[in-house]
Amino acid sequence: MNEKDRHAIIFRFVLTLLVILALNFFLPRMMPGDPFSTTSSDVQGEDIVVMTEEQREYYISYYGLDRPLPEQFLVYLSNLVQGDLGQSIYYKMPVIQVILLHLPWTILIVLCATALSTVAGVLLGTLSARNRKHGSDRLMMTGLIGFAEIPSFLLGLIILLIFGVYLRLFPLAGAVTPFAHYTSVLDQAGDIAYHAFLPVLTLSLAQLTGVYLLTRNTLITVSTKDYIRTARAKGLGEKTVWTRHALRNALLPVVTRTGFMIGMLMGGAILVESVFSYPGIGSTLRSAVVGRDYPLIQGILLVVAVSILLCNLIVDRVYARLDPRAAD
Amino acid sequence: MTTRFISYTQNLQILSFFRDMFYHLGKTFSRFSTEGKIGICGVSLIILIAVFAPLLSGYPPEKITGKSLEPPSAAHLLGTDELGMDIWAQICYGARMSIFIGLAVACIAGLGGGALGILAGYLGGAADQLLMRTVDVLMALPSFPLLVVISAFMGPSIANVIVILVFFSWAKPARISRSQTLSIKSNTYITAARNFGAGPCYLVRRHILPEVLPILFVLIISITSYAIIAETGLAFLGLGDPTSKSWGMMLHYATGFRSIYFTPFWQWWLLPPLFALIFLLLCLAFISRDLEQVLDPRLRKNGGA
Repeated sequence: MNEKDRHAIIFRFVLTLLVILALNFFLPRMMPGDPFSTTSSDVQGEDIVVMTEEQREYYISYYGLDRPLPEQFLVYLSNLVQGDLGQSIYYKMPVIQVILLHLPWTILIVLCATALSTVAGVLLGTLSARNRKHGSDRLMMTGLIGFAEIPSFLLGLIILLIFGVYLRLFPLAGAVTPFAHYTSVLDQAGDIAYHAFLPVLTLSLAQLTGVYLLTRNTLITVSTKDYIRTARAKGLGEKTVWTRHALRNALLPVVTRTGFMIGMLMGGAILVESVFSYPGIGSTLRSAVVGRDYPLIQGILLVVAVSILLCNLIVDRVYARLDPRAAD
Repeated sequence: MTTRFISYTQNLQILSFFRDMFYHLGKTFSRFSTEGKIGICGVSLIILIAVFAPLLSGYPPEKITGKSLEPPSAAHLLGTDELGMDIWAQICYGARMSIFIGLAVACIAGLGGGALGILAGYLGGAADQLLMRTVDVLMALPSFPLLVVISAFMGPSIANVIVILVFFSWAKPARISRSQTLSIKSNTYITAARNFGAGPCYLVRRHILPEVLPILFVLIISITSYAIIAETGLAFLGLGDPTSKSWGMMLHYATGFRSIYFTPFWQWWLLPPLFALIFLLLCLAFISRDLEQVLDPRLRKNGGA
């Protein structure tokens, strides 16, 4: 990757980030009405706060809404840099705290699903590429491609209905057993794994096909290369040829894919978590949507979007390190 | 006499046009794989259900026509939901919703994006640069989280959902039709045609469109499934049009019902929209996979642009 490409990638990253920030900033300001009328009508029952003109003006200048938009945008940016995402209406605490409370659960299932689907996809892909003249390959391919067409949250609903409702093997909601007393750390880890199993399974299945197809196709391309023939001609065993020579070269695109996958899974986790009522930021987003908790919705968008963008940026950089051809 | 003669030949022309069309359609159909044929039949079935929903449903979908949460019976084929509305009727009318949103988004985004792409590719220069940078940014944006936020702020209505989905899906057709236009433009026969005095309109109509349209058609089908999935996802989160009975809204109400998993209600309330959606999406996927190979063998070689 030359200097120019790197600049182009970073330029695109910054531009995309700015678009997201601008959307986040301007959307609420484009809405009809003003924040004071909603705050006052939100109060239920008798004590509706009617603001006098003086109070209104005081609050408008207090929140800086009388200043020009570019200045407001700068204030918004500087608040963001300081980690101030506003106050959640429902939780009555800073948005950043609500997110930090729920983000670890999302990260947990996303990372587990990434690892699981990468390992399983590479294994199945290798198996399929080696047996590509047999019926088993065709069967596996048709089956997995069919799987890939079902969106992850519908797949999650089916998995929940089969394993949680019909077979009653796994819990229907939550990340830990409520009010549980653990005798050891191992016990606690077991409980967390037990609750995370179905969401992780769903997310992994949704990404499995991509990794599988990529591994299979690159392996098939690589296996026609001259150095594979050379390796065979040297008298190396079939196993060594496949693992040391073919797979090693075929894994490069898989690494790139894994990075993008983390980003996609963050997006997919929003819906899958809601299906399993898993307390990550996805479920928080659903309850924020239902409760019209706009600052929280915006904060979650920002965190998810920025992490997806960062993953893609890191992938671009890591790829340059891994592939010497891309570096020059 | 002459007028009758003309109308007679016109009739013949129209007849032969239809005969050719059916012939081509039949030929195309026979080139599909078994899965592709299943896909076409399945999608046609759902379109028929959507079109004849008032005849098939038996009940209006938004009227209370039975007791709350009745199991399936002769009166209510798939039972009723918690308000006593017929579920089979909701499935029929929900098909309208999904098909309409999917096709509307896909046609606007596919044809509009395609037109922009052809224009940019044909004109080149600053317009092209501007469009491509916009497309770059749009394709880098994480679409689902943004969809959620924008539709949360714009308020739930079908028109808003369509506008937002179009906004997020025109980039791909624009990029692909631009690159196709560029590669066609560099051919010598275009230079030859231009030397013979062909104008831009003629070149686009005669040389560029026939090459780009098949690819756009494949893209339109994949955008249709994207739009259906996105609409369902939004509705599932509670961002659908509350007055509409789309399949996503049915999932939203059913999964939002307290203790649905501890009662047998999910069997007739949750399963029908779930299976309907999966069936429709699988059929669309079969069709687009086959179309890629039937209409454009080059896509197979390039691995999808």
